[in-house]
Amino acid sequence: MNIQTPIEPATSVIDLNEIHITLGNGASEVHVLKGLSLNIAKGQSAGIVGPSGSGKSTLLMVMAGLERVDQGTVIIAGTTLNGLTEDQIAAFRGRNIGIVFQSFHLIPNMTALENVAVPMELAGDPLAFTKAEAELIAVGLGHRLSHYPGELSGGEQQRVAMARALAPNPAILIADEPTGNLDSTTGKQIADLLFAKQIERGMTLVLVTHDRDLAARCQRQIAIRAGEIDEANSTLVAI
Amino acid sequence: MSASTGSLGGQLALAWRFSLREMRGGLRGFRVFLACIAIGVAAIGAVNGVARSITTAIETEGASILGGDIRFELNQRQATAEELGYLNSLGRISATSGLRSMALRSDETDQALVELKAVDGAWPLYGAVTTEPQMPVADIVSGSGKLFGGMAPQTLFDRLSLKIGDRLKLGDIEIELRSVLVTEPDAASDGFGFAPRLLISKQALKATGLIQPGSLVEYGYKIALPAGTDAKALRLAAEEKFPQAGFGIRTRDNASPALSSNIERFSQFLTLVGLSALAVGGVGVANAVRAYLDTKRGVIATLKCLGGSGRFIFTVYMVQILILGLLGIAIGLAFAAIAPTVAAAFLSGVLPIALNQTFFVQPLVLAAVFGLLSVLLFAVLPLGRARDVPATALFRGEFTRDITNTRWPYLAAAVIFGAIIAGLAIFTSEDRNIAISFLAGLVLAFLVLRLVATGLAYLAKRAPHAKNVSLRLAVGNIHRPGALTPSVVLSLGLGLTLLASIALIDGSLRSQISGDLPERAPNFFFVDIRSSDVKAFTQTVGELAPQGKLQTVPMLRGRITKINNVEPNAENVPASGRWVLRGDRGITYAETLPENSSLSAGQWWASGYNGKPLVSFSAEEAGELGLKLGDLITVNVLGRDITAEISNLRKVEWGTLGINFVMVFSPNTFAGAPHSWMATLADKTATNSDESKVLNTLAKTYPNITTVRVKDALDVVNRVVGQLGTAIRVAAGVALIASVLVLAGALAAGNRARTRDAVVLKTLGATRRTLMTAYAMEYGMIGLATAIFALAAGYGAAWFVIERIMAMEAKFDPATVALTIIIALVVTVGFGLAGTWRVLGQRAAPALREG
Repeated sequence: MNIQTPIEPATSVIDLNEIHITLGNGASEVHVLKGLSLNIAKGQSAGIVGPSGSGKSTLLMVMAGLERVDQGTVIIAGTTLNGLTEDQIAAFRGRNIGIVFQSFHLIPNMTALENVAVPMELAGDPLAFTKAEAELIAVGLGHRLSHYPGELSGGEQQRVAMARALAPNPAILIADEPTGNLDSTTGKQIADLLFAKQIERGMTLVLVTHDRDLAARCQRQIAIRAGEIDEANSTLVAI
Repeated sequence: MSASTGSLGGQLALAWRFSLREMRGGLRGFRVFLACIAIGVAAIGAVNGVARSITTAIETEGASILGGDIRFELNQRQATAEELGYLNSLGRISATSGLRSMALRSDETDQALVELKAVDGAWPLYGAVTTEPQMPVADIVSGSGKLFGGMAPQTLFDRLSLKIGDRLKLGDIEIELRSVLVTEPDAASDGFGFAPRLLISKQALKATGLIQPGSLVEYGYKIALPAGTDAKALRLAAEEKFPQAGFGIRTRDNASPALSSNIERFSQFLTLVGLSALAVGGVGVANAVRAYLDTKRGVIATLKCLGGSGRFIFTVYMVQILILGLLGIAIGLAFAAIAPTVAAAFLSGVLPIALNQTFFVQPLVLAAVFGLLSVLLFAVLPLGRARDVPATALFRGEFTRDITNTRWPYLAAAVIFGAIIAGLAIFTSEDRNIAISFLAGLVLAFLVLRLVATGLAYLAKRAPHAKNVSLRLAVGNIHRPGALTPSVVLSLGLGLTLLASIALIDGSLRSQISGDLPERAPNFFFVDIRSSDVKAFTQTVGELAPQGKLQTVPMLRGRITKINNVEPNAENVPASGRWVLRGDRGITYAETLPENSSLSAGQWWASGYNGKPLVSFSAEEAGELGLKLGDLITVNVLGRDITAEISNLRKVEWGTLGINFVMVFSPNTFAGAPHSWMATLADKTATNSDESKVLNTLAKTYPNITTVRVKDALDVVNRVVGQLGTAIRVAAGVALIASVLVLAGALAAGNRARTRDAVVLKTLGATRRTLMTAYAMEYGMIGLATAIFALAAGYGAAWFVIERIMAMEAKFDPATVALTIIIALVVTVGFGLAGTWRVLGQRAAPALREG
């Protein structure tokens, strides 16, 4: 199966159609996403907002191919994820999707350089370390290449995480509360860097946040409530 | 295509790189893992290495141990002139004679059974005799008339309070002890003796008058062959030339088959015990791998998010586990490699040969293979589950959710690794049936232990609500999710079961030997009673022990040469029954069914029967040899082949130590054949002083009759059993150490998990005392349940070994029961509380902040 379908210009890079997800079993069963449909265009930035438990993170995971839908179709970067195996999705994700987490999730026993090189090493890129070094320099951490995560500040760790997400030059950058674990000054620096890189590379940026100011910096805001798009509180931007 | 899903080489190279990066965090958390593997490998490697050092010593020193390049043995008769001519033509010859006899102090105040060995001037052909003071053998044994010289080991000097120059009465002559025998090169090929050696000359033996027709004498003809002679070919030629002679022929490459076989059997048993240490350690491996992977869930989820495939993640962590496994194996092999050298020092006084202290590769390879397979077996399931850590955990923080489903390829791999271990254990075993039973028991114990843990949790869940807070907490802890119950029961259960079963077997054996066996056994055995002396001997014994019961039976020696006119092949017989075919066995004839036996098939011959020769065969041995009524048995007695038909089978009670024979012939079979008699004397009222009187009087009156006091013989057996028991207990101790290590590891992992519980309970008002009491009760209940299982399973295993394999009566020893329970409670409660004490000392704030 070809999972490297080229992305058509000026088309939606994220295309979710009538997706349903139910998590848990029995008494703990929750219908998290209820027939949600959403298109996000190439190069667009979208902020997903909503109260806790509304289904924001689950929606993000669906876009990253980390959560399978019970119903509906998921087309990311031109590839339908529904029929792919877990390993095919992992390989697809490594090439096409960069992820930035609230808790950074750097690998503690690897240096900053090695952490950034991981997705490219996994993709079999022989220039993994050269690109990783360039990416770290680009986020202002050229002097921290051989430092371990435990030796870096929170802001520096999140820069490393961003460099790791950006290094394979993915079509889509997904960020889950990217400033949630940072103080406001550092958080603003990270957000500035995030949007600068998105514009610079023409990537699609999807971020989940509780921070209204951060969401407001996106071209589009998507409000989620009880597993559905809250049209009234969402701003729609034409492709 | 990505590297993580690409070619095997590329994936392995990448996995290797990632593994090394992951291991920068150090080996913390793997100490138990390393110890478990090292202990199991060391145990198996050491046992096999020591066994190999003994067997190779027997092989390399073959000529010295055998006393020649080839050795011909005859029982109860010397070689004929024709045979001797042939033997002399082969090379340089040395003739020896061996028999048991009584030796009296010259003042007739004390006597002892001795293993008499008479040598000629050529002895020894190989090896050196060491004596103290060192003197030529010829000078030591020289003599004439009624006085000859001799030598004996220090034990005989001590036993009879003798010194150099003292004399012993032996038959019709006196032996002057001129030297202490320190090393006798060919002692091992003569087998382990019950009594100390007394070494004299052939001329002296002749002068003793001890040798009569039918005397139990073993004549050995040891020959040094010209260089380049093929000893094996020579053996075949001799067997062909003298098919009826009844020669027992051994060559230097098989100098002591009985010793080699015993060592191999014993080492096989200890290997199985070592294997259970590895199985116990395997639980520790699984626990350590699971605990390690639990700490790596975040990394695994991150790698998945970054494009890592499940297979790649499995490979990364498998490489790490293999590296650690190999490190553990290397540590174990280092200990195993020095074992032969250490054993040589310890066994120098126990074995009749000097051990080979070289480096043995094969046992180490076997131990390493067992170790590696155990790592794979116990790591593959947790590793297989690790690949299923969901990447979504990074978003939801679900790092603690249990993954219970294991993909079938990993289950299949575990089954394959288990099957290879079992196959290897069985294939390398001397007795495959025992290996199969042992492994089946091990697997069954594993399964039942799982059930015990589940049952205990079930009972705790269904238990009525306790009023006592600590008890309620303890019962709740036993069944709640993530409880320590399964890991503690499994960790401790196997080691404790092994210890209990070995202690029970040992206890049963000891109680047989030192308990009621002497009650049931006769007080004395008498052998080599001349037919002409039987009447007078019976009268003397009747006067000495009027309450005693004397039983006399004719005694011949013969070996089975054919079964249904075909030479039997010992290889086709189960190991437990091969002894019947090995060399000469005592045989007898009887008019009526002997005591201590009952007819199980066929008919006993009529009184005065005079038809074709008939034989009664022991039912158990007949079963092992595949014999049935009507089969023909040919035995070689005094060089003559005699064929008899099996007319009945007898159930023989071997355990009573009465006179019993595998084969009892109809009296007409040996009509006219010269033979001696043997007898037993049973006198339950006899005191030590009565026995000494019997011994002393008979030794003086009938110097040619060999008297064995059962108490003395049992002391020897007790000592041997004690030495074997020590080795077995050491091996079982290794399994228990592995068990305790695994338990400590499991409890440590459990304590990490319950730190937060303790902190929360403390913030809610629980005192340290309440919590300690609760934990003590919890560990106590789990420990007690494990001990009860271990006792039940251990007794089951011990019963099987004692009753089914050894055909003895199993005893339930209360001391073992108490010991097992005490060990279980001390270990679980002790280790558990030691770790919990630290847990209770944790500051609340950090734990609550994490939560």
